[in-house]
Amino acid sequence: MIGMKQIKLNYLIIIAAVILVAGASCQKVISLKLNNAAPQLVIEGNLTDQFGVQYVTITRSVPFTSPNVVPTVGGAIVTMSDSNGNVYNFSQISAGLYSFYPISGVAGQTYKLTVTTGGKTYTASSTMPYPVNLDSLSAKINVFGKSDLRTITVNYQDPPDTANQYRFVLYVNSQQSGTIFTNDDSFTNGRYVREDLVQNSVDIHAGDTATVEMQCVDRNIYEYWFSLSQQQNNGPGGGTTPSNPPSNFNNNALGYFSAHTTQTKKIVVY
Amino acid sequence: MLNLNNSFPYINKHRLNILLCILFLLFAVIPASAQNSFTISGNIKDAASGEALIGATVKVKELPQIATASNSYGFYSLSAPAGGYTLTISYVGYKPVFLTVSLHRDTVLNVVLSSKTDLDEVVINGKARNNDNVSSPQMGVEKLDMSQINNVPVLLGERDILKTISLLPGVKAASEGNTGFYVRGGASDQNLILLDEAVVYNASHLFGFFSTFNSDAIKDVSLFKGGMPAQYGGRLSSVLDIKMDEGNNKDYGVEGGIGLISSRIKIEGPIVQDKGSFMISARRTYIDLFLKASSDSTVKGSSLYFYDLNAKANYHFDDKNAVYLSGYFGKDVLGLKNTFGTNWGNATGTLRFNHLFSSKLFSNTSLIYSNYNYAIQSYLPGNDFLAVSKITDLDLKEDFQYFANSSHTIKFGVDALHHNLAPGSLTTTDNSSFNDKVIERRYGLETAAYISDEWRVSDKLNILYGMRLSGIFIFGPGTFSTYDADGNTLTSKTYSSGQVVKDYFNLEPRLSASYSLTDQTSIKASYNRNTQNIHILSNSNSSTPTDLYAMSSNNIKPEIADQVSTGYFRNFDDNIFEFSTEVYYKWLQNQIDYKNGAQLLLNQDVESQLVYGTGRAYGIEFFMKKKYGRFNGWIGYTLSRTERKFAAINDGNYFPATQDRTHDVSVVGIYQLSKKWSFSGTFVYGTGNAVTYPNGKYEVGGLTTYYYSQRNGDREPSNNRLDLGATLEGKPHKKYHSSWTFGIYNVYNHRNPYAITFRDSKTDPGTTEAVETSLFGRVPSVTWNFKF
Repeated sequence: MIGMKQIKLNYLIIIAAVILVAGASCQKVISLKLNNAAPQLVIEGNLTDQFGVQYVTITRSVPFTSPNVVPTVGGAIVTMSDSNGNVYNFSQISAGLYSFYPISGVAGQTYKLTVTTGGKTYTASSTMPYPVNLDSLSAKINVFGKSDLRTITVNYQDPPDTANQYRFVLYVNSQQSGTIFTNDDSFTNGRYVREDLVQNSVDIHAGDTATVEMQCVDRNIYEYWFSLSQQQNNGPGGGTTPSNPPSNFNNNALGYFSAHTTQTKKIVVY
Repeated sequence: MLNLNNSFPYINKHRLNILLCILFLLFAVIPASAQNSFTISGNIKDAASGEALIGATVKVKELPQIATASNSYGFYSLSAPAGGYTLTISYVGYKPVFLTVSLHRDTVLNVVLSSKTDLDEVVINGKARNNDNVSSPQMGVEKLDMSQINNVPVLLGERDILKTISLLPGVKAASEGNTGFYVRGGASDQNLILLDEAVVYNASHLFGFFSTFNSDAIKDVSLFKGGMPAQYGGRLSSVLDIKMDEGNNKDYGVEGGIGLISSRIKIEGPIVQDKGSFMISARRTYIDLFLKASSDSTVKGSSLYFYDLNAKANYHFDDKNAVYLSGYFGKDVLGLKNTFGTNWGNATGTLRFNHLFSSKLFSNTSLIYSNYNYAIQSYLPGNDFLAVSKITDLDLKEDFQYFANSSHTIKFGVDALHHNLAPGSLTTTDNSSFNDKVIERRYGLETAAYISDEWRVSDKLNILYGMRLSGIFIFGPGTFSTYDADGNTLTSKTYSSGQVVKDYFNLEPRLSASYSLTDQTSIKASYNRNTQNIHILSNSNSSTPTDLYAMSSNNIKPEIADQVSTGYFRNFDDNIFEFSTEVYYKWLQNQIDYKNGAQLLLNQDVESQLVYGTGRAYGIEFFMKKKYGRFNGWIGYTLSRTERKFAAINDGNYFPATQDRTHDVSVVGIYQLSKKWSFSGTFVYGTGNAVTYPNGKYEVGGLTTYYYSQRNGDREPSNNRLDLGATLEGKPHKKYHSSWTFGIYNVYNHRNPYAITFRDSKTDPGTTEAVETSLFGRVPSVTWNFKF
């Protein structure tokens, strides 16, 4: 899908060019009166295929105008079970942070996370996909915008026989890029894929260290991230009407429970 | 309201039967009342160019209830008992003609009208000024005067009919500087845009900043917002009927203009003196020349332009037979060197044959071709692809107009429109990350038959009523699936070529009536049903060249709109001022929206991503127009509401549609100061778009994420803008004429919101902020126009 996303980005750039010619577009920070909804429960659970500590965080949403500090939810009962009937009881290690150690998710297994808090029980299921190898990272000159900036490309062989979904997380000198990168193989099944992580939230220069985590995620989790990434395209040139991404939790909890593979590679940008 | 919605189709069935009965009764009655009368018929043309005048009125002074208007080809016909009469033939912008006729047998009377050359000198008799807007049963219609369009100031001096119609009440521009428009709460794909009868699928250039209609080549524009006549069908909310210039059949002429971003030229002349003429008009932008000046090599190597080509030719064999051939071709080309390229465009062609069977029966046969396509190509190594999509229509239409007698004018016809949709294909090289992919083509045949009668019941009451039967057949070959609410495939069946997969039929009653209280005052009412079988699937907020079209299918049902409206029409001061107010209410069925995170691009199962719901729109429009004099213009105000309802969205409650705009004001003024100078100004004000703002925020995946609780529950700030224009006529020369057009867009430099986005603050880390993007500040423009 990245190619298609680029199309959209290209449009934005062309529109920007038109506007530059036409006069000048202008961006300014404005203050808006926003309606504040009651705080919503947010559960973020991750189970990876790497042997180690697995975390679940429980927080609540805050008004848009508040600082980006979310209140934590302590005292919840967090358990996970797998398709073999094993139950893993998570324990709270700090406010709102729950963990289980040591464990690794097994490919093909479906895990169910159950969270009980405030008299309500929330459940979500996720299936650990089979891993796909992250072959390499490469860098190239940013084709849109300033030519001293770089774009990172992830290279991997998509397996032809299975439906695969991916999420990539990009860090530049340990600062996370604000762009959400997803891909599935509806356009790339069985191909050797070179996917540009097109973003402009962090400037990447030669000499920076870029780190990319590749996750293989299940279909629901892909749709969760894809839905969020589509909304990031909002702005001039159009975007989708924003909405909450489809959570795999029931009972209107926000967030997700993702069983995914993880593999990280690092390059010094050239 | 839910009950009302559900019972509405049921009520209509009864209404349909009643209407059908009336229709049949009427045809039994017509011959009886047609005794001892004779017919006057002929063509009404421009004296200088020989071009047909559309909608010129013919009135009989002695018989005030008898009046007719010339049709799209300039033909008129009226019947009256034997006797001596005075005919008044009038048309906006032309000197009226008074003719004395002694009627003792069927008479052919061709009329030429001369345009008013100097506004100051012509004093028109008040009686000759048109009061059509009051007396015609047609409501919800706006006829644009091309000379007015040419005077209205617009962005970058590119005069544009689509931008001008958005200044009318009940019509809203999709966004600032955009040619997309919404009519009475309809979506932008619910407008039927016809250029010489051919459907134009994407009427915008450069993402909507300019329209595909080069006003040099346009002769006549009518917009129907309600009470659609039965000859039109296929879209829910409006009909924009655009007719191209025919060309001068007396003299050769060249005219054109050189503007800031584009130049245009038009050539016209006779093929055979007084019998046939041609017109060719072309326009090309040169924004890319600015890019060439850039020091950045990527920008320098980029292309960015569009062009339009309009051509038309006609030949009149005799008074009874004429043939017209017209075509349009336009393309946008954008690209970045060695990176990506895209182009899109429409092509239309119309071949028409007029035949007069008798002085009362006029016929037109049309063969119409329309094509819209786009291509996107990526040259990036490892990411190369070529994506193309195409829609091709072939349409055969037969229309008749029967001027039965002094009180009935009947129109009837049939239409068969074949669609060939190639939703998309992807072609790649071996080295690409992408696979080749082809989405199955879809074939369909839209058919329609209609009949309508304009019945002048008395000199006070006029009724225009009719019926349209529309149907669609979806054909194989292909695999057609049905889906459940979650988007899972329920059934899947493969059909062979020509096999009917699905068909739908709809009866669309059309009715409008006017009752004249006085010569200058009337009340009108209308009801119409419209259906739509071709839909744009796009989950983007704005129209893009890559919008996907789909026909009604196993999953997508025909969209249906029922509209009732009523209005009060009043002219003042010998018809110099026109005032009208209309109230409307519209029920919409089978509306389409998308699931969250819908994947529409090159998806064979795209219909699994859709959800269906209903809608309603209602409002009141006020319109005050000064049509004549050195100062003319109008003020329009609309108070309206547009809502949609989907089970899966907003907890199944009604929510404001994006195009919902509570208040909408537009003011247009044109002032002819002297022979040399004329000035114009427009002012617009509108309530901000209905948008979805965050109602909270939280963190997932290390990123700030926004929480939304209500669809379109918020409003963008309102927008307002003043544009000014001036035209300076050059010194009159024998051989040529020139003029300068100056414009200032957004005079007081108000920053109107184009998009509002939310992000983590860079200046104040750990907080979030709202960012407003606005497009155009004050933009001056200048154009030099010439005419030989």
